[in-house]
Amino acid sequence: MTPELDIEPGSSHAYHTGDWRTRQPVYRNKWPPCSQTCPASEDIQAWLALATEQQWQAAWRKLTERNPFPATMGRICYHPCESACNRKHLDSAVNIHAMERYLGDRAITRGWKHKAVCDTPQTQRVAIVGAGPAGLSCAFQLARQGYPVTIFDAQAAPGGTLYSAIPDYRLPKSVLAKEINAILALGIELRLNSRVGKEISESDLRDQFDAVFLAIGTQRPRQYLTKESSKHSVMSGLEFLHRLNRGEQIALLSKRKSKQVAVVGGGNTAIDVARCVRRLGAEVTVICAQDSHGNHHRELGTEMPASRQEVIEAETEGVQLIYRAGVCRLVRSGEHLSGIEVAHVDQVYDRHGNFNPVLFDGTEEFVPAGLAIFAIGQEADWQGLERLSQATESEGVWLGGDAVSKSKLAATAVGSGYQAAMSIMARLKGESFVFDDHKKAQITFRQMQLHYYPKQPRHEGETNEQRLDGFNEVVTGLADDDAAHEARRCLSCGVCFRCDNCWHFCPDAAVIKTTADYEIDYNYCKGCGICAQECPCGHIDMERLND
Amino acid sequence: MKTNAMDKRDAFRHNVLTSGHRACSGCGEAMAARMVSDLIGPDAIYINATGCLQVFTTHNQQSAWQAPWIHSVFANAAAVASGVEAALRAKGKGTPVVVQAGDGGTFDIGLQCLSGMIERGHDVLFVCYDNEAYMNTGVQRSSSTPHAVRTTTSPPGRLSQGKHHLKKDVISIIAAHHMPYAATATIAYFPDLKAKVEKAMRIKGPRFLQILSPCPLGWAHDSALSVTVSRLAVETGLFPLVELEHGELTGVMRLAEQKPVEEYLRPQGRFKHLFGSKTGAVELRHLQALADARIRHYDLLDADTQWDTERAMQSARHGRGGYASSMPTSEAVKNDA
Ligand SMILES: Cc1cc2nc3c(=O)[nH]c(=O)nc-3n(C[C@H](O)[C@H](O)[C@H](O)COP(=O)(O)OP(=O)(O)OC[C@H]3O[C@@H](n4cnc5c(N)ncnc54)[C@H](O)[C@@H]3O)c2cc1C
Ligand SMILES: Cc1ncc(C[n+]2csc(CCOP(=O)(O)OP(=O)(O)O)c2C)c(N)n1
Ligand code: SF4
Ligand code: SF4
Ligand code: SF4
Repeated sequence: MTPELDIEPGSSHAYHTGDWRTRQPVYRNKWPPCSQTCPASEDIQAWLALATEQQWQAAWRKLTERNPFPATMGRICYHPCESACNRKHLDSAVNIHAMERYLGDRAITRGWKHKAVCDTPQTQRVAIVGAGPAGLSCAFQLARQGYPVTIFDAQAAPGGTLYSAIPDYRLPKSVLAKEINAILALGIELRLNSRVGKEISESDLRDQFDAVFLAIGTQRPRQYLTKESSKHSVMSGLEFLHRLNRGEQIALLSKRKSKQVAVVGGGNTAIDVARCVRRLGAEVTVICAQDSHGNHHRELGTEMPASRQEVIEAETEGVQLIYRAGVCRLVRSGEHLSGIEVAHVDQVYDRHGNFNPVLFDGTEEFVPAGLAIFAIGQEADWQGLERLSQATESEGVWLGGDAVSKSKLAATAVGSGYQAAMSIMARLKGESFVFDDHKKAQITFRQMQLHYYPKQPRHEGETNEQRLDGFNEVVTGLADDDAAHEARRCLSCGVCFRCDNCWHFCPDAAVIKTTADYEIDYNYCKGCGICAQECPCGHIDMERLND
Repeated sequence: MKTNAMDKRDAFRHNVLTSGHRACSGCGEAMAARMVSDLIGPDAIYINATGCLQVFTTHNQQSAWQAPWIHSVFANAAAVASGVEAALRAKGKGTPVVVQAGDGGTFDIGLQCLSGMIERGHDVLFVCYDNEAYMNTGVQRSSSTPHAVRTTTSPPGRLSQGKHHLKKDVISIIAAHHMPYAATATIAYFPDLKAKVEKAMRIKGPRFLQILSPCPLGWAHDSALSVTVSRLAVETGLFPLVELEHGELTGVMRLAEQKPVEEYLRPQGRFKHLFGSKTGAVELRHLQALADARIRHYDLLDADTQWDTERAMQSARHGRGGYASSMPTSEAVKNDA
């Protein structure tokens, strides 16, 4: 209120300069690009902020709200969050995956237990088909809310593809098992060796449960189509990895004179297979139809799908790669495989975007190999699930994970399990559910003041130099001190980190600092915009006022 | 007279200069004066020369000061402070005495009284809020106005490109008195400003601070850019941050990176006439040469000092510190199991 002109001597507080304002500052949390790109929608900024305070357990709890697999994911996720991290515009991205792993490992060593969010037990029962990351993530969210959950899996151990296909040097089985046990400890029932459609029928499932989540992954390898009938010395990448992970000897290799293996494919499975073959002591060549990383191949859409980091590691370990090469035929003398004839690939994908390489005549080359491993994709196996897979959410059936997602990442499966759980609970309660994470206000480095942050080098785990001597982990975790420092590198994009800038700079003493927060005293704020301009992390918005 | 309760809105700061003052939106002088007076605290006597700060903090008899405050006339603030300090001394009191004046009240009309105050060795801190023109009367040029600036009394046109003359090197004039402490500072570098005010308050005798204080009205920049502009003044070398003790240079803020003057000039309407004309281009080169000369004079790129423009900017979680040491702190608790 502006007083009348017959003013008495006194404090300027009587005069509300806030009346002058035509725009006003508002404190508003944003959703940083790391979380925006994290397929599991982790609130990365929030758990890093807790780690900054060395509140390790609180940080782990915040992280596991969305992803109960930090030790696993910190090891195997290809971390798209880091490619998006705003810090790369200052020096280099925050080492998010190493921090994730650090928290996960700390939880394992200290035996931290997940807590239920809701103590009232629910009565409606949920069945989950598939104990991969999608199924387990969904079970975790439901069990935390008090729902009785039963997971069915055809395999002899839980973990899905993480258990059956990912090699030990990237993810030790014990780490995965401990994180899974912590999830199951919430009271989840797990039935192994139970294929739905075989050991249990579809209709039994429908009768006994109020909701069903199908997360069956992609367990059937795509076969190399060939007229020749011999399967001798030919294997799928998935079969190779499954056998290796079950601890079987892959005898084929040692008996060969040549010890030459060819792996066909340009994805992560091909690279995993190749790196395993090196560890078994053989030479290996990867035949890849696409281009290498870099040289704008990504923009052109011809870059190989495997992760760049994985390829670099593979090359360090002596894996040979040939690019833009397609298989013409397997070269045999009798049953015996002597190699693969390849030729230059002109176009990788056809007009419809399908993988359909065109090979050029006259460019043939011979790649010697005593064993050919085809890692050319895999698909969902819906056998025995024909009716369930056609049912809809309104009929109480949800689908998720690799079986239906376009992006085949473990974290995507975790995110899909989370969304399914939220949707299932809403439906069981008769509420509606909208997944709105990706509608949150976003923040780019352009809205931030990067000059307020000191440059600091990124901390990394150490690399095991004797890595080819077996299946030991290649990279170690961060040391305690490094973890604390690495957490501090987070710029806290869009979320106040209490730097005091707005408070120091307000010319009108209109920013009030409290023990918990900052508040704007709109009686006196003139709307100059300095606080918003000088906030390092872009937490403050200026809003126009009408008239 | 009505008595008013002190402003206790903020647990971490006195707000010696509190809200409700009539400075323009985004005023750099109001910001600087609030920072300085909060660093010194309410137990001091503030003497204010005529000028914007005096007018906007005491408009219509409503005072924004929560500390003893005296308005002198335009020219004699330093003389009034000398008297106040002598009286306190006679009564055996050590209450700090602080003078505040604009650049007009320091470089021009107040210079004689200031020189006398220093020469007589009074124990007073003199703070000049340098907004580079007579702002309170409507933006007339002062001897602090930089070269080529547009003011109402140095209008650019056919015959002129703004002010002909150069900005007076007042810090050298003051330091030449061989007085204990003279320094320059600006709002963008709060940790540096804080260190200088605290250092000045530890020293006995006459002390002088020149604080560059952007004026959105007179400099014609967006009100949101006051801090940004003051930062660029330093980063381009046009406004070096220096400390002089007994006439000797004892500290400078090194430039982590020298920015071209154009980055500083562009956002300010008072330099707008320099862009897009041949004669303007000459003045742009002149201003760049002036910045280069300052940088050479103070060795701003290589000086071996505790601060550089990058380090002095750095924000930290949980603040860069409040104002008085007795204030509560927000310490984070460690928790792990
Ligand atoms: C070699 C390889 C390496 C990989 N490396 C990485 C990596 O480094 N990082 C990454 O992010 N992703 C990686 N992936 C992908 C990742 O493993 C998958 O995205 C993820 O496991 C998918 O999870 P899901 O829960 O959807 O399915 P899955 O993990 O495949 O789990 C599905 C489960 O369902 C079970 N099941 C199927 N049908 C039935 C049925 N009818 N009844 C009962 N149970 C059934 C299966 O036994 C299986 O246990 C890799 C994949 C492969 C093949
Ligand atoms: C002797 C005298 N001459 C002129 C004036 C008019 N006058 C009042 S304030 C002012 C300008 C003050 O300029 P400055 O000292 O630079 O402070 P600013 O307003 O820019 O902060 C002038 C010229 C006066 N009050 N007294
Ligand atoms: S700096 Fe922190 S909040 Fe910002 S994108 Fe990187 S990890 Fe996320
Ligand atoms: S700095 Fe102060 S006056 Fe300016 S917009 Fe922010 S709160 Fe309002
Ligand atoms: S300026 Fe600092 S204290 Fe203010 S909102 Fe931004 S991060 Fe928080």
